[in-house]
Amino acid sequence: MFHASKTFALGLGLLVLGAAPSDQPPGPDADGLLHLSMLAPTRLSYVGRLESVQFGGSKSEATIYRIEHRAPNLTRRWYLAPQSLFGDWSLTRGSTAYNVDVKRKRIYVSTNKVLDDQVALDDNFGLLTSNYRVLPAPPQTVAGRVTIALLLINKYTGQIAMRLWIDKETKLVLQKESYSSNGAVTRQLRFDEIRYTADLPAPVFQPPNLPGFTMGKGATHHAPSNDLLSVVKAAGFSAGFPKYLPDGFLPVAGDVSDIKSIRNLHLLYSDGIRTLSLYENALGAAVDLSRFRTQQVHFQDYTGDFVQDGSTTLLAWHDEGLHFALVGELSRAELVKIASSVAK
Amino acid sequence: MQHPTTERLIDYIHAALAPQDDAAVHMHLDECSECRQEHAVQIRLSEMLRADAAAHERELPPMLKAQIWNAVRSLEPTAMDRVRAWLRPAYSVPVAAALIVAAFVAPGYLHHNASGAPSIDAAYYLQDHAAMNGATPFGDHSGSAAAQFEETSNVDQTVLHAVPVVGMARVSR
Ligand SMILES: [Zn+2]
Repeated sequence: MFHASKTFALGLGLLVLGAAPSDQPPGPDADGLLHLSMLAPTRLSYVGRLESVQFGGSKSEATIYRIEHRAPNLTRRWYLAPQSLFGDWSLTRGSTAYNVDVKRKRIYVSTNKVLDDQVALDDNFGLLTSNYRVLPAPPQTVAGRVTIALLLINKYTGQIAMRLWIDKETKLVLQKESYSSNGAVTRQLRFDEIRYTADLPAPVFQPPNLPGFTMGKGATHHAPSNDLLSVVKAAGFSAGFPKYLPDGFLPVAGDVSDIKSIRNLHLLYSDGIRTLSLYENALGAAVDLSRFRTQQVHFQDYTGDFVQDGSTTLLAWHDEGLHFALVGELSRAELVKIASSVAK
Repeated sequence: MQHPTTERLIDYIHAALAPQDDAAVHMHLDECSECRQEHAVQIRLSEMLRADAAAHERELPPMLKAQIWNAVRSLEPTAMDRVRAWLRPAYSVPVAAALIVAAFVAPGYLHHNASGAPSIDAAYYLQDHAAMNGATPFGDHSGSAAAQFEETSNVDQTVLHAVPVVGMARVSR
């Protein structure tokens, strides 16, 4: 358990250390603080205003929303910007999200099982701390709150992957910056305002009451399985796997989805912070890139198409009947290297 | 009396009903806790919108990056119009009552190219991948916020079904 007195000591230490990240080993304090902050939303209720900015090569996207969060897993967001989202709101109840598009008078109901999966989250936390060093960084005031800042540094490359500003008192992450391998900020999330509250009324988090609302209709779910092999088996075709992965990456999840009648196998790899998805199908369904600006990439005997979408990258190619899409927050060179290693 | 529709409740909150209808809703609320709860939700909704609008009137949210600040700033008049439109009476345009539930299986992702072979929109893969980030600590699961509201964004999220590979991600420390 992490003690408040230790937090305080860490905070004082930072004042003495000044700006440079220390060379001290991360120790249980930083890891413990990181773990507490990861779980903070499950025990804190708050209202606030958040600003999220995704920086991309050709486009940056800023989203501003008011947030109401009731521990452990009820969240309501009211969008203020961009203009196209103004007035729209979303409600997340555990793994189910209701996205209300006011302008078009529609609700999009989505289910994301990974959001409520504490076991997976804890496993991935282990993965994170095995691949990243957690170091203290200069604190800063965020939304009027005193914070403790932490740097997450990739142990293999030495690069800063993420910087977190954690509320010293409550341990909630108030600001977060993600960095690409070239050091550029790819994503920033920051509270402009925050107020902790004990008593957000539950009715605020009721799903929208809709006449004729039917849930789950048409959804394609496959029985969860604990091992990758059964997922691959469910795909029903001889799948390809990468032989090369960047340092620290491991397979963490798999799923099989039918998009109409096209069965897609999805394998998810992660190093605890970054993720990589490999999608494949054996029914000749190519990736439609008509809505994206693409670059042709030649590797081995293949011609692939590369897309940069904000900080996310995608490489699509096919090998006889198998069509692949590799998606991640990795560089083009890394994606090509991984794609080159895919073999049945 | 039947439960009033959400639309009717909103009109009631904004005192836009004819006197006898107003009285009927008032009486119903007195005896129906279900509708009282919905009533409270709708009041809160309206108040939050008003608060947002009031805040908006004073200043736009502070932005870190000048370019984005400018972009948002240029939207101000239009956004303001929308706020005004959102406050009574436009908000009583039945947000909930007229909501159409989007189909769970969206046709949007599957296309056929000229040769007749099917293809899958790359946006599906990008969004599905973004959703998976919810399993990583400090991950952003939603990807692009706008994508959550796109016509074609529903299929991935319902079909999406993550299967943690237990043991593989467990790291001995
Ligand atoms: Zn009633």
